Amino acid sequence: MHHQFNSPDGPVDVTVAKQGDDWILGEHKAVLESDGRIRIHLANGVSGYATVAKVGDNWWVHFQGHTFNLERIEPGATQGGNDGGLTAPMPGKVLDVLVEEGQSVESGQTLMVLEAMKMEHRILASATGTITDVYFSAGDQVQQGSVLLAMAEEED
Amino acid sequence: MVSKVLVANRGEIACRILRACSEAGLESVAIYAENDAASLFVELADESVMLHGDTIAETYLDQNQILMIAGETGADAIHPGFGFLSERADFARAVTAAGIQWVGPSANAIEKMGDKMTARITMRDAGVPVIPGEEIESTDEEEALMAIQQASTRVGYPLLLKASSGGGGKGMRAVEHPEELLDAARSARREALAAFGDGRVYLERLLTGSKHVEIQVLADRHGRTIHLGERECSVQRRHQKVFEEAPCATMTEEIRAAMGKAAVAAAMAVNYEGAGTVEFLLAPNGEFFFLEMNTRIQVEHPVTELVTGVDIVREQLRIAAGEPMSCGELHIRGHAIEVRLYAEDASNNFLPAIGPLAVFIPPEGPGIRLDTGVRQGDEVTPNYDPMLAKLIVWAPSREEALQRMRRSLEEFVVLGTTTNLRFLRELCDVPDVVEGTTDTTMIDRLWPDGWSPSVPVHIEDAALMAAAVGESAGLHRLRSTPSRRSDDPSGPASPFATLNRRYP
Repeated sequence: MHHQFNSPDGPVDVTVAKQGDDWILGEHKAVLESDGRIRIHLANGVSGYATVAKVGDNWWVHFQGHTFNLERIEPGATQGGNDGGLTAPMPGKVLDVLVEEGQSVESGQTLMVLEAMKMEHRILASATGTITDVYFSAGDQVQQGSVLLAMAEEED
Repeated sequence: MVSKVLVANRGEIACRILRACSEAGLESVAIYAENDAASLFVELADESVMLHGDTIAETYLDQNQILMIAGETGADAIHPGFGFLSERADFARAVTAAGIQWVGPSANAIEKMGDKMTARITMRDAGVPVIPGEEIESTDEEEALMAIQQASTRVGYPLLLKASSGGGGKGMRAVEHPEELLDAARSARREALAAFGDGRVYLERLLTGSKHVEIQVLADRHGRTIHLGERECSVQRRHQKVFEEAPCATMTEEIRAAMGKAAVAAAMAVNYEGAGTVEFLLAPNGEFFFLEMNTRIQVEHPVTELVTGVDIVREQLRIAAGEPMSCGELHIRGHAIEVRLYAEDASNNFLPAIGPLAVFIPPEGPGIRLDTGVRQGDEVTPNYDPMLAKLIVWAPSREEALQRMRRSLEEFVVLGTTTNLRFLRELCDVPDVVEGTTDTTMIDRLWPDGWSPSVPVHIEDAALMAAAVGESAGLHRLRSTPSRRSDDPSGPASPFATLNRRYP
């Protein structure tokens, strides 16, 4: 069966096949245990139990001290690109807006200051460009993922 | 006499105190905000009373409401834990005035130590060395900024801006160069005002290459003030500790004796009662300077408990009841390390994370202690501090303790919320940590552009395969969405739950 997951390096295609009780991926083998864990046998001889859980569209996997959060891309879904929107990493409150529409900003410049979990977080420009929209003002509450500002990146 | 203790706190430390009450044969009362109704600490208390209100100020910081609940439930003592009202002299005073025993030092001692400037003067008078620094008394923004600028030339760079009534890294900014001062000062004042209702800051010289070493003290009403040795907490990110140990790897008998003596002198200078911590900066040449005294139980108290065998919270309860402390002559045995498990993204500037604890399986085995306020199925919300648990290990030697910590961190499974588990695991391999030569700037020095995990390719392959097998086998459809708040009887981790009950 074919699946696609989003990894930090971009989408990854994974195809696993079932043979008897085993799942096969190339030279690697996996067995689904009755307690829901997955016993992994890698081609290089490494083996161990993976603990998995699906939350929303994401598969969380723990294997040998490493934890992964792999978003499954639904078949047929189109990838949302980065439109230059700057989003709130956490739900919180806008403390300060340091730029206005039409303003030119440098990469790394502080655009907005948020407060979440009693700490301040700075929203920084990811590139040099121009602010095209400011959607919130100081004192506003924002949800995680809210688009805070929009900017047009400068063409090289 | 104390017979019924109200715990004016939440989460992990509330659990710690409530369990100590249970072991001491004391009745206990928990107070909780509505969004904490399903939290573990609420279950651990004999009685639990819900606080009215939505914000922290209207709930865990509402002194009148808490005193009213103490009256209604007949509590004769209040334990404040750490954070919240624990270092509020006005609350300690109000509790005492209501005829209720405050588990901690007198309001007067909290006041003297809580105000960093008064504390410095008190310490200097008691013969304890202090770091060069100045308090900015002005509350007016423009006047304060001007005073900060003037003071900075006397204190010198690099310097540290700290909230006068602060703690936990809030309202704290390191300033390397004069041109960064005003921005940092504005932001520190704003954060201090939001967190503590007091925007005053103070400036202090930043001593680089130093270790953060602190001494645990205990004092009772029978004339005994002792210290329980040191903890080293140099490894910090955003001025918050993440890795703590006892004893300090580079400590000598001479420095420990001198530091212990200074800490006891500090406690005695304010007629201290109960448990407290005197924090020092230990310079590479063995010189040490008073930083501040925390007039409460500290997050990292378990490492001291493991190497001394003293139950510090139990001693707090004993001392509050007017009994002499029970510990005899102290010996430091073996080595203990604590790490703080945070819901945060260590690879993205340690930004707090939220989500469900779909799977939460702590490590087990000899020499392992877990202090936590959460369990599998709980939800990590943005309402409170993102610390999920403290994992503490003990072993006969420092080297074995580190090995045990590595093993424990690899066994620890948390799925559904991003945590700093891997960051903590990699910390255990950093040469400075292995050799015990950590200092307070280590994390920033090692990862100036931020940390990211090193993941072997075959481990990533295994993870992708596991996810693909999970999806193909429909594993997520066999188990219900894990949540404690749902009424699902099969539980979050039991995908094939059945009930095989036999009746005779």
